[in-house]
Amino acid sequence: MISVEDVTYIYPSGVEALSHVSIEIRPGEFVALMGENGAGKTTLVKHINGLLKPKEGRVIVDGVDTRKTSVAALSRRVGFVFQNPDNQFFAETVKDEIGFALKNFGFDEATVERRVQWAVRFMALDDYVSQSPFLLSGGEKKRLALASVLSWNPEVLILDEPTIGQDYLQKEKLMQLILQLNTQGRTVIIATHDVEFVAECVPRVVLMSRGRIVDDGKADGVLSDAETLQRCSVIPPQITQLMHRLSDPRLPRNVLSVGEAARLISRAARRD
Amino acid sequence: MSSIFEGLQFRAGDTFVHRLDPRAKFILSISLLVVATIYMQLLPLAILLCLQVPLVVAAKVTRRWMKTLRGALVLAALVFVINILVKYVTGDYTLLPVDLATAFSISFRLVVLFTSFSVFFLTTTPDELGLTLTSWRVPYDFTFAFVTAVRFVPVLAAELQTIMDAQRSRGLELDKGNFLQRIRNFVPVLVPLIVNIFRRSIELAEAMEVKAFGASKKRTSLRQLKMRRVDFLFLLLTLIFLAAGIYARFYIPIPAIIPSE
Repeated sequence: MISVEDVTYIYPSGVEALSHVSIEIRPGEFVALMGENGAGKTTLVKHINGLLKPKEGRVIVDGVDTRKTSVAALSRRVGFVFQNPDNQFFAETVKDEIGFALKNFGFDEATVERRVQWAVRFMALDDYVSQSPFLLSGGEKKRLALASVLSWNPEVLILDEPTIGQDYLQKEKLMQLILQLNTQGRTVIIATHDVEFVAECVPRVVLMSRGRIVDDGKADGVLSDAETLQRCSVIPPQITQLMHRLSDPRLPRNVLSVGEAARLISRAARRD
Repeated sequence: MSSIFEGLQFRAGDTFVHRLDPRAKFILSISLLVVATIYMQLLPLAILLCLQVPLVVAAKVTRRWMKTLRGALVLAALVFVINILVKYVTGDYTLLPVDLATAFSISFRLVVLFTSFSVFFLTTTPDELGLTLTSWRVPYDFTFAFVTAVRFVPVLAAELQTIMDAQRSRGLELDKGNFLQRIRNFVPVLVPLIVNIFRRSIELAEAMEVKAFGASKKRTSLRQLKMRRVDFLFLLLTLIFLAAGIYARFYIPIPAIIPSE
């Protein structure tokens, strides 16, 4: 259980990135944070593993106040995958890269070995185990970053802009992975601009703008409210836009799935 | 440490000090530096620091100037301690009040040295910096390298923060362990930083080539530096100050605040 209670955060430069934000995330939930650049998405998720501590209000993760514990202790429960994998690779081999966090968390050698093997296989990095992380392609780097976090099996997984710079196939795989992890009971939180990606995942969507939460609810509801979305510099998913443009009274507007839309439209067409 | 850098970062402003010709400001900084170097007594050093205050206030950069000051104080404290220790160990394990006074003056001088360039960097755009060097016939390749270095300091500082965040999220505790361990803790932070610096410099080189860097021998610039009357006046005052500072060093006895040699 993560509860953010009336949190305000001001960067040293004086920018107020969060102002009186409150949100609760229950175990096993899948949440997408959306909103314009600088809306406060990344600032908010950085509060959950303690990288940032609230200036006002408090953040409680599983009953623990983030101000009273270390980032390392929180990270054990809350895995954070950063946007740019290049900002974390340093080891000589893929294997060492994955083992780094496990050693930091004090797992014994046999466990480290076993978990590295598991993570390598889970993220399909088998062929690169003894290669340098710097020689991997963009998609492989992303998978390695994921593997290095999944290796210690955190209960909560945070992904900051997971789809940036990824090709279609990688995105598809990423989605399957996220849904799988979520089905297994992990809490997944993503901060993203990728509205099509969110539309296909159908998580709970939290819409942010200028450091405040503007809307919070099921994806089909939030993503079909064109007016609110526009205020947050988010464009509705294409399929929702299509349903709006058709403006047929028999067709609902809050459709996110292409399959569902096709079914509804063809049914309406048949009746004509 | 980062606060010192913050005190050297330019942020746009439009005050009398910002509009002064960068060359005049540069000469002032050099003059402050020279005068600070030739004095060991506390009183003239204190005067040098106070002389900067009206400029800092006029430029509305007081808060960031204070940050440089605070950052420099940390370093000065370190110098003070080392000084005392060395004196103590080499001087038969006794300390005279004179030694304390000397160590204090040396550290204080360091603070003045640091702040002398703070006003210049806080009120001069990287662009003007380049123009200044060019106007003194520094080859453009050097100027470009220098300006780029200054320009990338904040970028690197931000990147360092991101990398530290990423590694801390992987359970790295930077301040854990003994001295050697702590140094080793920085490897996972420094390697990505250095790799990124190399990558960025290659990208920058490519971008420069695309924009035909070095294609023409004689470069022209949209903005030209021009000394106005007020700049000459400022320069004159600076030179008078420099001359007075040097003159006083040799011909006027300085009353000591704390007893010294």
